[in-house]
Amino acid sequence: MATGLISTGISGIQVAQLGLLTTQHNITNANTAGFNRQRIVQSSNIAMLTGAGFVGQGANVSTIERMYDSFLSSQVNRSQTASSELETYYSKIKQIDNMLADANSGLSPALQEFFTGIQKVSANPSQLPARQAMISSAQALVARYQGLEARISQMYDGMNAQITTTVATINSYSQQIATLNDRIVVARSSIDQPPNDLLDQRDQLVLELNKLISVTTTTNSDGTYNVYIGNGQQLVTGTMTMTMTALPSSADPSRVAVGLKNASGAQELPESLITGGALGGLLGFRSGSLDRAANDLGRNAASLALTFNAQNALGQDLLGQSIGVGTFQANFFTITQPQVVGNAQNTGTATVTSQFVSPPPIDGYYTLSRTAAASYTLTRQSDGQSWTNTSLALLQASVPASEGLSLGGATLAVGDSTQVLGPAAAGANFYTKLTNADYRLGFDGTNYTLTRLTDNVAWTNTDRNALSTSVAGSEGFSLAISAGMAAGDTFLVQPTKAAARNLTVNPSVAADARLIAAAMPVRTSTGSTNTGSGVISEARALQGFGTPALPAAGVTLTYNSTGNTLSLSGVPAGARISVTASGVSAVYDPGASIPYSSGMQISFAGAGFQITGNLNNGDTFALLRTASGVSDGRNSLALGLLQSQNTMSGKSASFQSAYAQLVSDNGNKTREIEVRSSAQAALLKQSADARDALSGVNLDEEAANLMRYQQAYQASAKMLDVGNKLFDALLGIVS
Amino acid sequence: MRISTSQIYEAGTLNIQRNQSALYKLQNQLSTGRRVLTPEDDPVAAAQALIVGQSRAVNAQHVDNQKNASSQLGLVDSQLNALTDLLQNVRERVIQAGNSATQTNSDRQLIATELEARLGELLGIANSQNGTGDYLFSGYRGATLPFAINAALPAAAPATVSPFGYYGDDGERLLQVASSRQMAVNVSGSDLFMNVRRGNGVFAAETGGNTAGGINQGSAAVDGGAVLDPQKWSQAVNGFAWSNPASAAVQVRFSVVAGVTSYQLYDVSVPATPVAISLSAPYTPGQSIQLASSNPPAATLTDFGARIVVQGQPANNDTFSIRPSTNQSLFQTMQNLVAILRNPIGSSTYTASQYGNDLGAQLNNLDQAMQNVSRVQATIGTRMREIDSLKDTASDLDLQYQTSLSELQDLDYAKAISEFTLQKTYLDAAQLSFAKLSGLSLFNYL
Repeated sequence: MATGLISTGISGIQVAQLGLLTTQHNITNANTAGFNRQRIVQSSNIAMLTGAGFVGQGANVSTIERMYDSFLSSQVNRSQTASSELETYYSKIKQIDNMLADANSGLSPALQEFFTGIQKVSANPSQLPARQAMISSAQALVARYQGLEARISQMYDGMNAQITTTVATINSYSQQIATLNDRIVVARSSIDQPPNDLLDQRDQLVLELNKLISVTTTTNSDGTYNVYIGNGQQLVTGTMTMTMTALPSSADPSRVAVGLKNASGAQELPESLITGGALGGLLGFRSGSLDRAANDLGRNAASLALTFNAQNALGQDLLGQSIGVGTFQANFFTITQPQVVGNAQNTGTATVTSQFVSPPPIDGYYTLSRTAAASYTLTRQSDGQSWTNTSLALLQASVPASEGLSLGGATLAVGDSTQVLGPAAAGANFYTKLTNADYRLGFDGTNYTLTRLTDNVAWTNTDRNALSTSVAGSEGFSLAISAGMAAGDTFLVQPTKAAARNLTVNPSVAADARLIAAAMPVRTSTGSTNTGSGVISEARALQGFGTPALPAAGVTLTYNSTGNTLSLSGVPAGARISVTASGVSAVYDPGASIPYSSGMQISFAGAGFQITGNLNNGDTFALLRTASGVSDGRNSLALGLLQSQNTMSGKSASFQSAYAQLVSDNGNKTREIEVRSSAQAALLKQSADARDALSGVNLDEEAANLMRYQQAYQASAKMLDVGNKLFDALLGIVS
Repeated sequence: MRISTSQIYEAGTLNIQRNQSALYKLQNQLSTGRRVLTPEDDPVAAAQALIVGQSRAVNAQHVDNQKNASSQLGLVDSQLNALTDLLQNVRERVIQAGNSATQTNSDRQLIATELEARLGELLGIANSQNGTGDYLFSGYRGATLPFAINAALPAAAPATVSPFGYYGDDGERLLQVASSRQMAVNVSGSDLFMNVRRGNGVFAAETGGNTAGGINQGSAAVDGGAVLDPQKWSQAVNGFAWSNPASAAVQVRFSVVAGVTSYQLYDVSVPATPVAISLSAPYTPGQSIQLASSNPPAATLTDFGARIVVQGQPANNDTFSIRPSTNQSLFQTMQNLVAILRNPIGSSTYTASQYGNDLGAQLNNLDQAMQNVSRVQATIGTRMREIDSLKDTASDLDLQYQTSLSELQDLDYAKAISEFTLQKTYLDAAQLSFAKLSGLSLFNYL
């Protein structure tokens, strides 16, 4: 009896001891990450059968269990991985947002300063200090573009480094999980009890892993976890791991991509498979926002340079030089052409280069040419749209009336090509059609396909030159694709990415401010013996000025009252005269007599003007080269107008509004990510609350348990005392 | 629901952090006065602020340009005032010289000397420079002296020294004074000094000399003539069957036969072979002579839409010529005047009536020049007025841009401060309750 008492008492002490230990364990691990509170599962010992029935034999602890729910835990994992992704995305995009936010460090002030500098030159074209100030403001603008780009570049570099370290951490976690898998199998095999703390550690590692990349787990029969990423790529299988690796992307070696190591090296994973966690956030930010910001900025820089250069090329510098003369600098800015990167896995021998469409298009300009005896072609310069027919009359019939062109007055010899101006040319301005997208050029053995990566719009052609033409018409750059592309080869075309970095002020102009083309190379004059009241407007140099060159003596227009016509002498042989009156443009040969009407626009050889008023027989007007025109600021005025003209995005945005668009888009995205991020954080908190409600340690509860097991221990110890006393009583009888 | 101890701490610190972050933002807004700190706060307003900001800066640039234009135009205007004074002075002298009854040859010499001095003064005005050393009246060629004696050209009668040449061009120096307005802030010398129409601005009526040789011998004087119908004149000049269409010219030729004076019109576009274009008609002094061809002798009956008035008695074969006005520079007019005044009168080679006709013709030219200066001055005045109204518009615009910028970006202080107070109350409550709650523990009682 007494021995029963003692053994039962001891079992109670043991149970209470385990209870105290477990409580102690819970208390000390109250702040351990991933710790699930544990409790003893106490059960009664098998009773002893006596004649009086079953006599209880005390209690034992059948197991120590952890309060864990795999459903709650995986819910936390899912919330955590989404939350980490958004947090990473937000912390990155916020940097761009802050960069664009500052009114002083953004693009706007520098842009404004630059155009103010141009206005100063228009006001004082002969003053070198004004010209020098314009150079300085241009250099400041270029520095601003480069500064903004440098910060974006730094983010790219940081992104590469961060992806690399994240991948290393993921590898370390998966290695640790595999190790824990191993230890759990060993622990289980020696005794059939759950190794709670190992399980906790492993679950915590899975949670940490989810912070970096979204993973799913399955449990094997031996208790090990398999860990998967993406749509089933194994990271951990039992005790085996696959190594993730950060490697230069084959499409663009300057970007670090994520791959999995295998026997033959490394397999690059498509970015779509990497979701969730910091890594998903980094990749999502890079392709979703950083590329966009870099391209937008580059597009701004490229458009500025292209349109500015195009207008600058029509001017005349303080030395009296215009295009094709002496050291005239047509380009005010220098800029590098679009970059094309061949995929590292290409097998063909083709090389691809790309060029901006330069000069950028301007509406209402056409090229009329005769390539063969029976082949006349009219090409619209703004988008490359062309019409071809066997005679001028038939060509005239095939050109839509909306173009407002009358071609019948011209004659062309085979091989002739000339510029023709339509009604839309009046008041038209330069613009670019560049987008903020990157493009991928592919070849399937028959078709060349260029895909715009932002929206997957594609151009396909079997003829690579035709492909280039159609792309140039709508996207603002052309492609030179050599033969030898193998099926499956791809090239990445980045028209604007590097433009902001490579924008500079033409060093020749920077060194000599006199080379700024502030003047226009042509001017008009009214004959001093005129008796009529006719007035000729200022002349403008137009796109194509300089080919063919105007004669040094200029061009003289003489009015003949007999036929009410103007005849022009001195128009260079290769040129044709475009005359726009009442919304219709007609083309004439250089020697033709042109019907006069007041208000007609006349242009040839890249120079245009207007004549109004009543003319008398023999009245003359002249188009002359601007000689010694040091006080002429017409071209700088035209340059200044670029500020408010729609020069970008196919004539839908100005430099400033395109930049504002970038700021607004990025701001919207930042806001969106922030809202989503805080929503996701709330979700995470809810699921963590649900998990902690079950698994978290409550110190008050543990204090109560402490007291409970202490009392149980004391009670069981008292039983020993009672048993001892009973035993003593028996011994006393014997003695 | 069961709560774990870490939840209490996490929730407590999370709430305090959230409150602090809201306070931090409010404090930033309050200290900068800006509602939109980064584009994220209000992407649309941030983008709009950029665009409005540019519009405002562009507007400010236009205001600068307007000031610049004002000062340049003011400079031109003051030169034009000086020019007007000078020309008025010259005109007085010419009128004075026209009184041939009271003025002797030596008086005229004195006036000629004075006019020569005036010519020098005129040249000074024409070659004036602006503050930065650019010539005012040289068009684009700011660094080129616009007016100088053209030594290559011989003097055209009656002047005796080579004419002044213009070495500038017709260029207009433009300034962007509003978004869609470029304003010329100069006047080219050719417009102001060189391209001055002769005669009455449409045609010039002058003595044509006696067909028998020499000057007109009678005492007839022609006025400046008048255009009655400009359209008819233009059609006649361009459409009449002239012997040489390139240099249309009509001659009024008088004949005195047996005491009867009559006149006839000739086409003298080829001077050597005059062709009669009207029938002979009787003449009485002071008569207005209509310029019109008749058929016969001309192929058509054409009304030229113009007339001249001839006073006095012409001699047989005296002529007057009527030609469409060409340009004569103001310098040439001055030189002509000097030459006329220097030519002594009273001989058969230079009669008083020829002197009167010559002086009258140059006076017409001088009046044309003065009209031209007035026209230019009016243009400059109009531009300056336009600048004034543009300035008003620009300052209105600036205010408007400022207002919209403020609406887009600026903080509503009252609202922000009350939000700040509220947020601070939340934070206080969170901190206090957290401190209380975390102090509660069963272990305190063990």
